[in-house]
Amino acid sequence: MRILLIVLSAHIMFFTSIQLRAHHSFVAEFDPTQPIQLRGILTEVELINPHSWFHIDVTGPDGLVVSWAVEAGTPNTLFRKGITRDTLPVGVEILVDGYRAKDGTNTASGRDITFPDGREVYLEGSAPPAQDATSIP
Amino acid sequence: MRHQLVALFFIFFVSAGSLISTVSVGQVSSEAAYMPPRTPEGQPDLQGIWSNAVLTPLERPDQFADQAFLTEEEAVAYEAQRNDETFRGTRDLDAATDVAYAYNDFWWDQGSTIASTRRTSLVIDPPDGRIPPLTTEGEKRRNARDEYRRLHPADGPEDRLLRERCIVWSGGGDLGAGPPMLPSAYNNNFQLVQTADHVLILKEMIHETRVIPLDGRPHLPGSVRQWLGNSRGHWEGDTLVVETRNFTHKTHFQSTSEHMRLTERFTRLADDVLMYEFTVEDPVMLTRPWTAQIPTMKLDGLIYEYACHEANRGMVGLLGGARAEERAAREAANE
Repeated sequence: MRILLIVLSAHIMFFTSIQLRAHHSFVAEFDPTQPIQLRGILTEVELINPHSWFHIDVTGPDGLVVSWAVEAGTPNTLFRKGITRDTLPVGVEILVDGYRAKDGTNTASGRDITFPDGREVYLEGSAPPAQDATSIP
Repeated sequence: MRHQLVALFFIFFVSAGSLISTVSVGQVSSEAAYMPPRTPEGQPDLQGIWSNAVLTPLERPDQFADQAFLTEEEAVAYEAQRNDETFRGTRDLDAATDVAYAYNDFWWDQGSTIASTRRTSLVIDPPDGRIPPLTTEGEKRRNARDEYRRLHPADGPEDRLLRERCIVWSGGGDLGAGPPMLPSAYNNNFQLVQTADHVLILKEMIHETRVIPLDGRPHLPGSVRQWLGNSRGHWEGDTLVVETRNFTHKTHFQSTSEHMRLTERFTRLADDVLMYEFTVEDPVMLTRPWTAQIPTMKLDGLIYEYACHEANRGMVGLLGGARAEERAAREAANE
């Protein structure tokens, strides 16, 4: 089982001028300077409010297994887009792109999920322009 | 020559005026032609689950300047533009763009169509499609709130937004909450239920419910302040009119205050269209009232429970993030 943990760095510009409209206040909870890519085994799916949580076990290069919690969209939106427990079976290996939490815990905000077969769970919501930005629960 | 120019201008403006009236009259006549079904009590039947998800912005974008309506061709192009703006970001972009657009696609559900009226903004009055400026007192109050938030972004949960605290969020914008009901990020659905003397409106977002008497009773005394205000309804022809006041000083829908008075109008225009119009008045904060209009569409589906408090771990993350930043700042100062 090839498991990979890559923490990417990114240059950040204009953050003070861009209002983010992710759930809650994205920048209060997550660090936009720490995009993260996690590959691991899905151990639990919590379809709960206000947001779903995916839990994955990630084995690092040193062989140590670290559990990560990944925040995802509200169950209501997931259901309407056809994402259910059956879509995300525990035990599969997934690749998660997201942003790491500011508090340093093994928590991340999930952007999208890719399955080994390349199937991508990417929720095709629609976002208004940045000037409409607000903070969402 | 000068007379010819004046005549030309006259013809131009009269023609433009006719075009505008054609649009308006067209809408009115289609409205008049439709007879909504009736409840057993003989009231227009507005019941059902309606979606106010729409890509039309609240205020008119600069690109449309003085244009209130789009032509059919322009509407197709603008709808495509709005959908394009929700592109899937890639990591090739800078992180700001990625977070601002792509990340949010993971969460948002604002539909894929602009308003069926082809208006360029949800705001229909003032005619420029923009929310009117604040009064001097309004500016003062808003600046004071902004300054407090700058100095105390997350000392404790009470410093965070009402929506982050899972308390209330019928409307959006300007760090405040409604009613009125504006589309938000997702859960843009409400259910309307009627009895002979009451109307119930259940909003999916943060599970807000208003029970609205239609029996002519007066509003609650001004000393009683509620998160969703205090609503009273009545019928004007086939339009349900709901008047709400007694908001709290903690809700600031689009920079309004506890003095906001809200008038909402629900008119069924077709089996699958319920026109929702609201007027916001707040003489303390606003230099004039404003009105917005959203054609809400029948939803083929259910309202799902949104038990926002169930696992609001985000609050822990928000406060934890603030403490982490404070630690980092202290460490940087000590170095």
